[in-house]
Amino acid sequence: MSTTSKAENTGGWALAVLLGVLAAGAATRAVAAVTATTGPADGATLVKTYCGACHLPDRQGTLARIGDERKTPEGWVMTIFRMQNLHGLQLPATARDTIVRYLADTRGLAPSEAAPARFALERRPNVPDLALPGDLQRMCARCHSAARIALERRDAADWLKNANWHLAEFPTIEYQEGARDRHWWREASTKVPAELGRLFPLHTAAWAAWQRHAPIDLAGRWLVRGDEPGRGTYWGTAEIRRTAADEYRTTYRLRFADGQALDGQSHAIVYTGYEWRGTATLGDRSTHEVFAASPGGRRLSGRWFLDDHAEIGADWDAVRAGRAPRIVLVSPRAIRAGTSTRVTIVGEHLGGRVDLGAGLRARVVHRGRTSLVLQVDAAAHAAPGYRTVRVGGANAADAVAVYDRVDRLDVTPAYAIARLGGGKIDPVAAQFAVDAIEEIPGPASKPQAVHLGALPVAWSIGPFDAQAAHDRDVDFAGRIDSRGRFLPAGAGPNPKRPFHADNTGNLEVIATLPPGAAGRPTAVVGKAHLVVTVQRWNTPPIY
Amino acid sequence: MNPKTLLRLALLLPAIAQAASAAPKKDYIVTGSKPDRLFLIDAAARRVVGDFKIPGAHDWVGTIVPSPDGRIAYVLVNRMESIAGIDLGTGKEVFRADLSSPGERVKCLFAFDVTPDGKQMLVYEVPVKLGLSEYQVEPTRFAVFDTNAGLHAKPVREFPAPRRVHTLLTDKNDRTFFALGFDLYEYDIATGKRLETRGIRHWDHPGHSRPDLLAFWPVSEPTGIFAAPIYSTRTPAAGHGAPVPVTSLMTLNLRTGALAYHDVEKTSALIFSTVLSPTEPAAFGAYTQLTKIGLDPYRVEKRVDLPHTYYAVLVSTDGKEVYTAGAMCDVTVFDADTLAEKANIRLPGCGDQSVTSPRLVRR
Repeated sequence: MSTTSKAENTGGWALAVLLGVLAAGAATRAVAAVTATTGPADGATLVKTYCGACHLPDRQGTLARIGDERKTPEGWVMTIFRMQNLHGLQLPATARDTIVRYLADTRGLAPSEAAPARFALERRPNVPDLALPGDLQRMCARCHSAARIALERRDAADWLKNANWHLAEFPTIEYQEGARDRHWWREASTKVPAELGRLFPLHTAAWAAWQRHAPIDLAGRWLVRGDEPGRGTYWGTAEIRRTAADEYRTTYRLRFADGQALDGQSHAIVYTGYEWRGTATLGDRSTHEVFAASPGGRRLSGRWFLDDHAEIGADWDAVRAGRAPRIVLVSPRAIRAGTSTRVTIVGEHLGGRVDLGAGLRARVVHRGRTSLVLQVDAAAHAAPGYRTVRVGGANAADAVAVYDRVDRLDVTPAYAIARLGGGKIDPVAAQFAVDAIEEIPGPASKPQAVHLGALPVAWSIGPFDAQAAHDRDVDFAGRIDSRGRFLPAGAGPNPKRPFHADNTGNLEVIATLPPGAAGRPTAVVGKAHLVVTVQRWNTPPIY
Repeated sequence: MNPKTLLRLALLLPAIAQAASAAPKKDYIVTGSKPDRLFLIDAAARRVVGDFKIPGAHDWVGTIVPSPDGRIAYVLVNRMESIAGIDLGTGKEVFRADLSSPGERVKCLFAFDVTPDGKQMLVYEVPVKLGLSEYQVEPTRFAVFDTNAGLHAKPVREFPAPRRVHTLLTDKNDRTFFALGFDLYEYDIATGKRLETRGIRHWDHPGHSRPDLLAFWPVSEPTGIFAAPIYSTRTPAAGHGAPVPVTSLMTLNLRTGALAYHDVEKTSALIFSTVLSPTEPAAFGAYTQLTKIGLDPYRVEKRVDLPHTYYAVLVSTDGKEVYTAGAMCDVTVFDADTLAEKANIRLPGCGDQSVTSPRLVRR
């Protein structure tokens, strides 16, 4: 499976959009860690009680459909949501949560199976989607992310039932643009299930092996590092306590590079033995955690995001505290030649001599249990490039860079989608960040990019092309704040625009580093492409 | 007023009433809107004269097919699962076909029509068997209903249909009908026998790619010729270079069965649906612009921006006015010659017309 640029079709024939709206369902809840005290045995009983009336057992006692599928916790939540909203299933929230745990534990995905599509579970905005081979891309990923398909496992017979369900529930599918150019149902009922059954089968060696895997206990002390686009690097510790089987409470002591605290508490359930889903408070924000534990239980990584705005969030990477000296992070990651800078090295057992490499002289300001604060003087003539950081027995290659000018600003994401908000649907913001780059002579005289990370830049927007300039998209689509977050305008027909058009826009996002900060006679400018488009009417946990 | 005058007036009344009933028929626009509304608009008076609620519409108002005498509007409602016949004089429901039954969900994908004699209704049905833990897509079919079957109409005949049909059009001879989908099929109404298949997707239009057609507004009034925009790409005349997107016009004469495709322009604006003028060699197309298409030769004669997107377009029986409707909650009147806006008619309640198919009726 290869990756491809995620092409969200924002133009196209409006009729296709219209039919898409007809086919759209309602929003579903994210997988939340709510109090659930019942275990797998109760889950089996509840599944029989609430699902068994329609999902009849076969001779082996396997319930129809349920026994033929494997999904992520989010996948099972979406299934139950559909049963409630389309098929009249009535069940209390506690039963629902127990059933999700039971199904994710007994019919989940192995870590290696979920790995390629974790970005979809983590709700990472504006990332490249997977690409399904051949016609599957057109048949399935025309509406869904390819990741959503890649996060389910069924045999061909059940994929065929899934195809039947699709056309039954959304009969306009075969009329939509991208489908009516072919005998859609013929393909959907023959080639597609066969191919999906081959690519994403129910029975796999990976799942069989994972079911035999010894349970992981995540309790203990952890070192945390992460980065929130638009806000910056943060680090600290997490104290994880086990409160029940696969259930944890955590205390976070974190802070951003600028010193602002990011302390908090989390309550998490671990599904399928490794899928951490937490509900947390971080600072004054309510967040949702989607992490995965490594098979050895020594690493917990993923992303957290705001409960009500999944597009706003941060990378998360935690390593279990140990006995060996270790550097996990150096902040900031770039030091300008000829300046004196306060630098923090995050890690543990950071005793002994400190060495930041050629042209950098460090003085220890504070030695803490998990951090070392330094005042670093960079010589005016210090050569630009990466340095290996050494503290006693710990070292980290290329952990810090020296620079004397900025040659380029890469704005990430280079292509982004934001969505207008209004009515019951919240706007979807787009968060941009920069990676400053100095190009130095590398091996064989080829330029080598030294990544300096985020530097303070000024953010602005402009029209992407002549049509956008003519339609004054900049005046209608929204605004960008000083941290690079684009805040979309309201949705709906706007009488001030030609054709009463919506406040959509085709924009250029511009980051500007002034001449002084860039170490050049002129400012350095980086750009990204932003499409501000209409609302999504359904907001499931997996798009 | 003296008694003699009164007497004379009284004697005159029956004559006046008779004159009224024999009054020449007028153009009316029938349109619908969410959640359950059906409107009758006196086109010349620019006035909504009928405002009806369709029972059991369930927030969905789709294709409208008027009876040939202009008395009844048959409307696809209930999320494509029911067809309601509404008397345009009284607003009463006089016909109802609920297509689904226990264990089988049946949707009509926009496509139904009434025979020119008004007696039979043809419905394109997309059925699904509802099992306990799974659905099963069933073969699509045509169903024939008697229009006088009242409020519990059941099909009198059914026969197999291809998938992906989006429009049904009855032939003026009452014996056959056309189904538009992947291709153009003609069927015998009585036997269900497919008489002919002609190309839409497989059109015979040299130098063009396979086309795309999905105009599900089954408008053929007032000419009796159905017209729809159809899109493809054309290989450049030199034989090399990038293919050029082309807008063509499909016309299907429902009386003679004559089918034709003519290129109109290198696509420069989208046209959702079209209607033919009854008085000049021209067609009108709507979407975000109103386009007047000349048919001799085929070309864009005039194009004006519309105040907002309209999906549907109608033309008056005298060919002098064009009406844009569908989407949002108004109908706008244009001069057919200049395309200048003449009037705007707001629909009460301002529900979205969405995918309904506004129609022109004479009554």
